[in-house]
Amino acid sequence: MSFWRSLNSGFRSLMHSKRTERELDEELQAFHDASVGEKMRQGMPADAAERAARIEMGSRNAVKHHVRSAGWESWVESFLSDLRLSLRGLMRSPGFTLIAVLSLALGIGANTAIFTLIKQVLLQSLPVYKPQQLVLFGKSLSNGILGGVDVGTYDQYTYDFALQLERHPGPFAGVASYSSFPPEVSVRVPGAGAAEQVTTSLVSGNFFGVLGAEPMIGRTITPSDASAPGQNAVVVVSHHFWQKVLSSDPAIVGRTININSTPFTVIGVMPERFHGMSRDFDPPDLWAPLTMAEAIMMQPGMLAPRSFYFLHMFARTSPQSSVAADQQWLDTQIRNYVLAGEGKTITPERRAEIGRLTDKLAPGGSGVSHIGDKYGTSLNILMAVVGIVLLIACANLANFLLARAVMRQREIATRLALGSSRARIVRQSFMEAILLSLAGGACGLAVAFAATRTLIAFVAEGATYSPLSARPDATTLLFTLGVSLLAGALFGLAPALHVGRSSARLASNANARTASGAGGRKGRFWPNALVTVQIMLSVLLLVGAGLFLRTLEKLQDQNLGFNQTHLLIAGFDPHLAGYTPEQVPALNQRLIDRLSAIPGVQSVALSAVPPMSQGAWHSSLTIPGYTPAPREDMGSVLERVSGRYFETTGIPIVAGRAIAPADHAGTAKVAVINEVIAKKYFPHGDAIGRTLKIGIDSVAGPWRIVGVAQNTKFFGPREKPSPIVYLPLAQIVGKNGEGIGDSFAYTMLLRTKRDPAGSIADLRRAVASVDPNLPLLQIRTIQEQVETFVSHETLISRLTTAFSALALLLACIGLYGVMSFGVLRRQNEIGVRIALGATQGGVQWMVLRESLWLLALGLVLGLPVALGAANAVRSQLYEMSPFDPSILAVAVLVIAAVTALAAWLPARRAAMVDPVVSLRCE
Amino acid sequence: MGNGDVVQGTLEMLILKTLALEPMHGYGVALRIEQVSRGVFRVNPGSLLPALARMERAGRVKSEWRASENNRRAKYYMLTARGRKALADERATWDRQTAAIARILEA
Repeated sequence: MSFWRSLNSGFRSLMHSKRTERELDEELQAFHDASVGEKMRQGMPADAAERAARIEMGSRNAVKHHVRSAGWESWVESFLSDLRLSLRGLMRSPGFTLIAVLSLALGIGANTAIFTLIKQVLLQSLPVYKPQQLVLFGKSLSNGILGGVDVGTYDQYTYDFALQLERHPGPFAGVASYSSFPPEVSVRVPGAGAAEQVTTSLVSGNFFGVLGAEPMIGRTITPSDASAPGQNAVVVVSHHFWQKVLSSDPAIVGRTININSTPFTVIGVMPERFHGMSRDFDPPDLWAPLTMAEAIMMQPGMLAPRSFYFLHMFARTSPQSSVAADQQWLDTQIRNYVLAGEGKTITPERRAEIGRLTDKLAPGGSGVSHIGDKYGTSLNILMAVVGIVLLIACANLANFLLARAVMRQREIATRLALGSSRARIVRQSFMEAILLSLAGGACGLAVAFAATRTLIAFVAEGATYSPLSARPDATTLLFTLGVSLLAGALFGLAPALHVGRSSARLASNANARTASGAGGRKGRFWPNALVTVQIMLSVLLLVGAGLFLRTLEKLQDQNLGFNQTHLLIAGFDPHLAGYTPEQVPALNQRLIDRLSAIPGVQSVALSAVPPMSQGAWHSSLTIPGYTPAPREDMGSVLERVSGRYFETTGIPIVAGRAIAPADHAGTAKVAVINEVIAKKYFPHGDAIGRTLKIGIDSVAGPWRIVGVAQNTKFFGPREKPSPIVYLPLAQIVGKNGEGIGDSFAYTMLLRTKRDPAGSIADLRRAVASVDPNLPLLQIRTIQEQVETFVSHETLISRLTTAFSALALLLACIGLYGVMSFGVLRRQNEIGVRIALGATQGGVQWMVLRESLWLLALGLVLGLPVALGAANAVRSQLYEMSPFDPSILAVAVLVIAAVTALAAWLPARRAAMVDPVVSLRCE
Repeated sequence: MGNGDVVQGTLEMLILKTLALEPMHGYGVALRIEQVSRGVFRVNPGSLLPALARMERAGRVKSEWRASENNRRAKYYMLTARGRKALADERATWDRQTAAIARILEA
């Protein structure tokens, strides 16, 4: 209660400070009058009584000051007056204030930008009930359809296994599953115009229940919606789809939309932030029950027992069960399922192998994020980098404020002598720092917004819908505020300490400037220490930037195995235009013929995927005459290619011949292998003419090897060359030469004479002339395709370079400032030296020597730190030592050159000092 | 103490005790303390008025403007219930402490 009264009266006196002041005056006057009256009553004459009363009271202002400081509002008042004083001080030196706020805005903005991304990519939880209870069966990052593997391989599961665990979840509160990739479907809304291509997630009936997600409108899919294959044509739509395609129709529930020509009933709309398990760009827009797999994927047999491994699984843990028990239960389920699928006789080796099967439970509260997987490490490294940049900016400001404090020595001493409390002077010095950092933080928010938008655009690689947002939320604002205050405290500390130590005696010292100027080593400790730290941190950043730049260069400049120019790649999917397998061989031929006729196109090919790809068709091989060791990996990438593929991609044939247009359904089945396979299975160079068989029934073979192709970096510039078998697309047909599910090609490749981007319009026209309904999904040049594989190296090297340049600039400004200030303070000394006969060169060297010492010290301290940091990011580098001497040399040279420049200017100025002027200054 | 300063920490107790008799204005309190202590303690306005302001903030006294004996406006201070309790507490503490000090000095 007394707190409230105090608060209340405090506010009253703040609000009505004039009235409070008047009342106090009146009370003092009354006191004085009463005192005079009493003294006169005791017999004093009027004037003596008056004087005595006045002496008793002393200074009226002092009394008033003491009365006022009884309440907290006096603190506020002095705070406000300090604030005004600090603001005025900053306004008086607009240049300094501008540089300070600008460097802080860049530092704090960069920190906020990276933090915004880290928060959204790595830290944010799914918008569901108790997300921390969710666990993934494996990291669930690989997507696709596998066959002929054990359950749990690449975290992929079959429908029957998932259903079994859904019904009997063991120690879990629930186990659910969803398709590991979102199939693309063609959606037509009755009454609306053209069909939309959207991605769909197939989910188990209990998916939403286990996830704990509530719909915004209608209801979600329940187990009764996944009762029997083909029977449950219901769909839940995303907020984004609802807005974009369904025009935010509030009465959408119960309406019908056509998905791949099958009518589905819309049963619910999810909230804006919900994207299922996905935390990626272009997340699924529709959720349909797994039992509708055939209609959605346009592929039969997905749900047959022990057929296709295409599901990811997750579970909600029960508080009663431990992680170890959960893991053990899952492994037992996997092993039992695999055992039950084995033949009657199981070899002991196989039994032991099955006994080792496992899929490690992973925390699922943040969902599944490929962005996080790809950029997580980069973002963490960048967070450290921007932290260092901010530290350098802080060191700079600390130095500037320190210099100001020294300049104000006399003012401070005077204030102390006049009775100002040391605490108040320190507080004001701190306030200046905090004001600067808050202004920097506010501008930093704008910087961060722009930077985050650019970063998201870069990371999104042209995705149409992004779950990331540059808009700062409460956490981000809090982070920015925290960082600003921390930075302010950091760079306000040194000057505040300096002010706190100042003595009042200096004021009376006529030679104050000389005294402080000659403050000697002790006075220069802090500035020098701060500059050394800046040099040290700059070395660290420069070495980092050098390593990342070199890595990117190495990745891009290596021989990837195919020709990296003049190649245009376009994705397409005949499924979406309603093609059946039987129609595909004819379509492929028509496309090849039509595309070859485009002017400026040298050659054309079709294939399943581009020469560098995230995923691939994959199978185990059998080579007659080769006996594999137990558990030997006999796997290989399979690529199906049309006749002029090798000519078009520029992959050289090192032996035998390439696949030719003449290899068609009617001729003998032939294959081309790459050097990895040739070396492994045919070490004597006798591959040509031998045969191989493939573990997938539709393309089992045998295939006669007619050529060996050079190795390519199929899975990306960092990967080792993978084994690849190339099969003629035209020969992947059924027994009677009819098209089958694997006859589909999804990639068009065009070798052009000129800039491939110039042929995009022609390509679109050509495809439209074959079939106007055939959608082109993604058109890229081969350079763009390769760039997507080095995007995080590009990001980290570009940003680290930019930040280290910024850091260097800041360090430079800092050194220049410290040196200039030092020269200014030592003007007398230098004047005397020159008067006594010191040469200009001598004076220059004296000043320069000091900064060279700082440089040397910064390097000696910085290089070990830089080497340690380089070692820590070793895994991010490519085919290079983290201790690359050339990079270290360049970093040292750059920093030495820049330091010398920053020190040389003040040194030159020192040498120009006119002894007469500088001595007369005193 | 001979120089007229109040024993440190006791000024508030003395003010409370003085105001316990009747509401008074600032000078009245000072005068009463000086008279009752027979001139030993002299409270100047520089410490009295801030003390009164502090006590008012703490809710131990409240004030109002009234006409004084000589028909001038003056700010009168009076004890609140909280102030009365504070006086009792401080007095008890003080008695205990002086008794203890006395015992030590006599020992």
